[in-house]
Amino acid sequence: MNPFAKTSAIAASGLRAQAFRLQVVAQNLANSDTHGYRRKTVTFDQAFDRASQTQTVRVGRIGLDPGPRERVFEPGHPLADADGYVEKSNVNVLTEIADAREANRSYEAGLQILSQARQMYSSLLETLKR
Amino acid sequence: MQLDLSILRVAGALGRHAAERHSLIARNVANADTPGYRAVDLEPFADALRRAEAAGSSALSTTRQVPVAAPGAGSPNGNTVALEDQMLRAGQAARASEIATTVFSKSIAMLRAAAARPR
Repeated sequence: MNPFAKTSAIAASGLRAQAFRLQVVAQNLANSDTHGYRRKTVTFDQAFDRASQTQTVRVGRIGLDPGPRERVFEPGHPLADADGYVEKSNVNVLTEIADAREANRSYEAGLQILSQARQMYSSLLETLKR
Repeated sequence: MQLDLSILRVAGALGRHAAERHSLIARNVANADTPGYRAVDLEPFADALRRAEAAGSSALSTTRQVPVAAPGAGSPNGNTVALEDQMLRAGQAARASEIATTVFSKSIAMLRAAAARPR
């Protein structure tokens, strides 16, 4: 398999993984005020792609953050326990924003690689034209 | 007269090396956030060429992989990919590929000029 196609397959798998991560960040942010919500975490994993015979990346397990949730006194809330306390979500907006930034940065790097590979391929094709 | 076209052979090998290296760097970048992933790179082309010349063989193998020494400490999750470093390497590979194609096409142009009918 030609290395440019391989590069494209790998870079595309990276872009997909980062885009998914961004999606999970969006879910967490949207639910930051949902009582009882646990923050979702994404892990990446390596995968062998048969079509391009190469090592690509994929989304591994989606986990739930077991971190502590703040308890607030809200006796009128439907989720309140016997003492009238409700657990808020354990989403930290700052952490999510930082995560989104990192995903964004990795995504951009992948795009850069993709366009570089395309340029290399087209300049190789140029030599065939003459 | 014997025609020595080793320049084409070396330029071709450099182009292949650059493309393979770029593919490997793409893998590193894609795995920039994979826990436990260790960055790899190809052996520099000059080293591979020197090794082939020392061995006196015309077969040039440029697919030997070497681990990348992580600049600074790696991530706590065992990942050793530094994105900036990888982008630098990707730029180097792209440049090497450009050099290879330029040298190749220029050599062909020179050969063609030499073989052309004198005017």
